[in-house]
Amino acid sequence: MASLLVSDTLRALTFQRLHPRTYLERLLAEDVRPDGRLPSEWRDISVNVGSISTADGSALVRIGDTTIVCGVKAEIAEPELDLPDQGFLVPNLDLTAMSSPKFKSGPPSEEAQVLSDRLNDALLAANVVPLESLCIQPGKAVWVLYVDATCINYDGNAFDATLVAMVAALKNTTLPKAIYIEERGRTTCTRKVREPLKLNCSPVAYTMGVFGENTILLDPMAFEEPLLDASLTIVLDEKRGVLFVSEIGYFNLAGEDLLTKCIQLAKQQHEFVANRLYGG
Amino acid sequence: MAQSGSDRRRITGPEESRAPVFDDEDSVPWRIGEPRRGRGAKDIRPIFLKAGLISQANGSAYIETQRTKIACAVYGPRQSKSSAYSENGKLNVDVKFAPFSCPVRRAPLRDAEDRSVSVLMHQALVSAVRLELFPKAVIDIFVVVIECDGLDSCIASGTVACSTALANAGIEMLGLVMSCAAISVGDDIWLDPTGEEAENAVGSVILACMPALSTVTSVRQVGSMPPATAMQAMDICQERCTDIHQVVAQALLASTKNSE
Amino acid sequence: MDTSTVLPGQPISVPRGPAPQLGEGLYSSKGQIRSSLVGVPVYDGPSLSVSRPRPLPHPPAPNSVVLGHVTRLSPQHASVAITVVDGVPLPPGEEFTGLIRAQDVRATEKDKVKIGDCFRGGDVVKGIVISLGDARSYYITTARNDLGVIFATSEAGATMEPVSWLEMRCPKTGKIEKRKCAKPEGL
Repeated sequence: MASLLVSDTLRALTFQRLHPRTYLERLLAEDVRPDGRLPSEWRDISVNVGSISTADGSALVRIGDTTIVCGVKAEIAEPELDLPDQGFLVPNLDLTAMSSPKFKSGPPSEEAQVLSDRLNDALLAANVVPLESLCIQPGKAVWVLYVDATCINYDGNAFDATLVAMVAALKNTTLPKAIYIEERGRTTCTRKVREPLKLNCSPVAYTMGVFGENTILLDPMAFEEPLLDASLTIVLDEKRGVLFVSEIGYFNLAGEDLLTKCIQLAKQQHEFVANRLYGG
Repeated sequence: MAQSGSDRRRITGPEESRAPVFDDEDSVPWRIGEPRRGRGAKDIRPIFLKAGLISQANGSAYIETQRTKIACAVYGPRQSKSSAYSENGKLNVDVKFAPFSCPVRRAPLRDAEDRSVSVLMHQALVSAVRLELFPKAVIDIFVVVIECDGLDSCIASGTVACSTALANAGIEMLGLVMSCAAISVGDDIWLDPTGEEAENAVGSVILACMPALSTVTSVRQVGSMPPATAMQAMDICQERCTDIHQVVAQALLASTKNSE
Repeated sequence: MDTSTVLPGQPISVPRGPAPQLGEGLYSSKGQIRSSLVGVPVYDGPSLSVSRPRPLPHPPAPNSVVLGHVTRLSPQHASVAITVVDGVPLPPGEEFTGLIRAQDVRATEKDKVKIGDCFRGGDVVKGIVISLGDARSYYITTARNDLGVIFATSEAGATMEPVSWLEMRCPKTGKIEKRKCAKPEGL
């Protein structure tokens, strides 16, 4: 009996492996997804902050099985000549070979580069950390915040998880009191006095996939991602304002207005999670 | 100090940046003659170990010893990328330090330390894995150090996590590999040193063994230690590995129970 | 707690009498039988083995039955991305490269085989591993009635049905395409 069950499971897995698209189509015809969710269901998201003592701020975010850990390291640099009072925010995501069989070790893949670029765009568009607030001495010294996110377990939708991890880590960040000493031309810091970073806003990302004509799959998982015809990411701020929209793939905007529908879906979920994500 | 230079695959900041310089000390430095702070000389930090957290991998483990946090995953046996045919399987260990894992940021470009840490873990594990069962294939172990407090201890804990992940993946092994680090400080031997403690060391030992078979798989000793002290350090490490074996056994049994 | 679960390296005591045959998950060293897996030792007749809690996808070995997609064709051979080995699918993202050489496509008239008349890119093929092959790929044979193409899409995009062991028909257009078909199971 037990072995029969095992062979049934294996047969289903074999079918899933050989004909992923048909497998997903058949499941969706029954209104269910490979992990048992409804198409209109988001996965649970959890945030833990401050567990990494070597970072100036840190966060661990889970969306379903997808796990991202993000650490902020503050360093000091000279500002750009044309922007003498602006610091730097340097976000990067590492999709480690550890987190999925899809990823290889070595330099960042195209996928990781695209994700890092989009995260950078979203953080800048939201003006999460005003770069002027990172100035120590205009024209001489500014803070550089390296916001490094590492993927520990990849089960899709790394963008949403990473954006939340980055914002939560920045929110958790404190900087040592720094003074630029003119005579010596350098900056010294004090361990005793640390001040929290002030965030301008705390955005949250919501990604939705479009499968076939118009099936919307919220928060797509790793198995679904390569089968999607399009995917849409909406970034919202606390006031439910749309800060950033990015869209990949063929997206039929004619007829039923998918974009409006997606923004509405994102806002609904935002109402539900936004307040508890960043702990007020 | 970080130099971004010509990295086009990442978002880069300014050309050059430096870690902050502090004008005050973090804590009062330890002096020779004082007892070890926080724990006994032969004590190791409490271990939190869990197998099977990374759902995408064949096997995985996460280990935490206070401020040291390491995750690792096992993939394969999978197709070898190398072009040479080999009768035995290969074991590949790839260690990566997260950029925020150490007191000073580690720029993501692969440095020599990652490589040497990978080699040490590989050496500790390779003789335990039954590679003859996987001709032509490769078993990949990927390790990510999330936080590192003491490099030697980190290598030892990483080895323990890898061995747990291999067992969790169902890769056949002669035995479970355990590992422990020790330093020589003054007249004392301290086990499982933290990063701060390791600064006081004159010599260090990392020992890896299979307690079930009473076999040592790898020893690395550096720095100056009288032979007797080195031998003594190895003995204590081996003893402690038996205790760590218990922790690993618990974690593995708990994970099989969960999967039922 | 379950006391019968053993760990790698743990000695296994066996009853007096003839020594058991060692199956998977066990090895013998210096006269002592030990486990090399986490699992429960189980007797199956004279053979003792330690079973894994879940099957480990394993690399192809000679006589493994494999399934995979045709990825590339050349006059000499068809390349296959193997995704299922002995009924166990490999995890997503993992695959092994297999090669069906022209002489291994069928049992008869081997020298007249035209690879292009037997396989197309994207076909799902069932085969048996004949050898570990060269450094890059595993050699696969389809020279048996039950081996060959088990799933193929026509030029019109429909799933085709086999009409003989050499041909498949598109249900949409009725057009015949050439394939080395596997005899469907249960026929």
